[in-house]
Amino acid sequence: MINRRGVLALTLAGTLTLAACGGGGEKAESGGPVKITVWSWKPASDGLAAVAKDFERANPNIKVDVQVIGNPAIWEKITVGMAAGGKGLGDILHIGIDYLPSYVDKFPGGLADLNKLGAGKYKDAFAKGLWPTVTGKDGGVYAMPWEVNPIGFFYRSDLFEKAGIDAAAIRTWDDAIEAGKKLKEKTGASLIGLNKPAAGSMDMDFYQSLLQQQGAFYFNQQGDVTLSSAPAVQAMTLIKKMNDAGIVADTSGEGTAKKLISSGKLAVLPWAAWAASYIPEMRPEQKGLWRVMQPPAVTPGGKRTAIVNSTHLAISGTSKHQAEAFKFIEYALTKPEVINKVFKEGGVFPALTAAYSDPVFSAPTEYFGGQPALKTFVDSLTEGADATFYSSDYARALKIASDAQTQVLTKGADPAATLATAAQQLAQQTGRKLAG
Amino acid sequence: MTLTMTREAATKGGGSPRSHRPLITKRNIPYLLILPALLGFVAFKAYPILAALYISLTTGAGAARTFVGLDNYVRLVNDPLFWTALWNTALILVVQVPIMLLLALVLALGLNSPLLRLRGLWRLGVFMPSLTGLVAYGVMFSVILSKDSGLLNWVLGIFGVDAIDWLGSPFWARIAIVIALTWHYTGYNAVIYLAGLQSIPKELYEAAMVDGAGAVRRFWSITVPQLRPILLLTVVLSTIGTLQLFDEPFVITGGGPDNSTLTISLYLYENGFRYFDFGYAAAIAYALTLIVAGFGLLQLKLTGGKK
Repeated sequence: MINRRGVLALTLAGTLTLAACGGGGEKAESGGPVKITVWSWKPASDGLAAVAKDFERANPNIKVDVQVIGNPAIWEKITVGMAAGGKGLGDILHIGIDYLPSYVDKFPGGLADLNKLGAGKYKDAFAKGLWPTVTGKDGGVYAMPWEVNPIGFFYRSDLFEKAGIDAAAIRTWDDAIEAGKKLKEKTGASLIGLNKPAAGSMDMDFYQSLLQQQGAFYFNQQGDVTLSSAPAVQAMTLIKKMNDAGIVADTSGEGTAKKLISSGKLAVLPWAAWAASYIPEMRPEQKGLWRVMQPPAVTPGGKRTAIVNSTHLAISGTSKHQAEAFKFIEYALTKPEVINKVFKEGGVFPALTAAYSDPVFSAPTEYFGGQPALKTFVDSLTEGADATFYSSDYARALKIASDAQTQVLTKGADPAATLATAAQQLAQQTGRKLAG
Repeated sequence: MTLTMTREAATKGGGSPRSHRPLITKRNIPYLLILPALLGFVAFKAYPILAALYISLTTGAGAARTFVGLDNYVRLVNDPLFWTALWNTALILVVQVPIMLLLALVLALGLNSPLLRLRGLWRLGVFMPSLTGLVAYGVMFSVILSKDSGLLNWVLGIFGVDAIDWLGSPFWARIAIVIALTWHYTGYNAVIYLAGLQSIPKELYEAAMVDGAGAVRRFWSITVPQLRPILLLTVVLSTIGTLQLFDEPFVITGGGPDNSTLTISLYLYENGFRYFDFGYAAAIAYALTLIVAGFGLLQLKLTGGKK
């Protein structure tokens, strides 16, 4: 499974070295063009670099230097820079929504309030559910939405056909479980795969998307712990049901997931929009076998959409060229033709709603049997996802929730009891209240 | 110090003003000699140690740091994960250290045997694992321990043993850590023992042989007592090393599954660098230091008391 929050490979020593080597990003300007640096990672950075050239042509007095810092290295580097009072940070920082609240809460002043630079007018320009997440508790706007990854339900149409299942008739996850049992019986394939013991990396995107479909998460907007709420228990119970039915494959171990996919042992990949380009790259020989639709809802008639993650551009609070930096962000992220060029060059699904009228989002995709694959995601975003509040303690919550999922999947623990303990532990560790 | 100063004062009082005292004198040269080491110690040890003590009494980071007194320590005592980490560490310690040291002793005896050919090669081979870098080590063990395609399960399969889920089951994950640790450090200890064995005077063995002592008797009556200080050293070093265990769970299991291989150092790292909770991480560091110091003293008392 792809895990964006990979192992942070840097040790303490590495961190200190970085702190020591920071510095020196900013030079005093003397009439020449202003240079702004952008920190990002591949392949998104390729898209940004492509439009930076156009921007420089239109704004000869601003030079844009897009630096590929890499993910996850960028998080440590930003943390170290902020802990050093903003020294050595790039002017523009590419930040995932799972990290943004940590930086905003733990380093006040570390990121610039974009409202002051005129971000307010783009409040309704982006996919629903994003703007509240980039808004801090103080009402400041700390990043502009760039990339959004709505959840999808990629399935093997050939296996579904063999088992006599009509994908369109799957409306709830309970329907999917019934379908999964048939699939297992007729084709031997599992419905989904999860890294059950969370060996190597945590595998929580699926659980989180079940929460998000219900408009819930580990925390609510006030920052109280909601890990033992009814939706949280409901989502974990669904996963337990699937596991007890024997339709969840264990994908732990090097390359296990890929092996299962190659051999047709996984019928469904509950992956986000990025998989629309990743699956064709990974399994070119399975061309025509895959289809994508919106995932089923948790409850009948319930919401089917969820935003798995999103990434954003922020401006360092200590940058000397905030106005110029914002000008570039405005150029790159708020103009449909520009953001679509970023999408084409960098494979980053745009958050800007005006971008979706481009024909590329409704064009048939050969790999997916001529189905307009991207349209599924546009439909999802048009339906509108709820905002997800990651809070500054997301990393801790993720770990505790992952432990709970492991207990449920490997020891058959009771979801309600396990999550009650987990929520207690999360509240104790973070000093937050349990939501009532 | 006091003595020196009094004497200097006395000299001055004696009324012999010295206009140009040499910069380097017989008296200050020892201090000058230890100065570089001392500066290094202050900058890279004393300062961080004291700073960590202060940080452990605070919460937040950067501009948002606030003093909270002993809150972090109270939280620590009430944190089930800390106790889990302590328990895991103790389990690994109790199982792994004796196995490793016994193995190291056997290896050292073998390497010391005059009957052994290609001695240098064998010694190098035994010591090699301790030189392996962390990342290579991690990759290697993930290949060896993989459930479906791992070397170890393949070998076990030849003997009809079912595939073991080394990294997916709490019990086997701990065993995996024990195996990795033993692989990594046995050679290191064997080399220390080897040096110890070679410093035992040959005359003792010759005299014992003349008196008719067999090999087993010679081992227990000469080798073991002579090695005693070195045995003690390795026990203390290994205990301290295991209490601070970080590398193996970090690269092989990530502390999982379900925290079954979470160690104190790993928990410290997670709090500091994954959750940015530096105050709490510093408190864990101090707790660990106390535990290590306590164990060290206890072992010295129990085993080295006679000296």
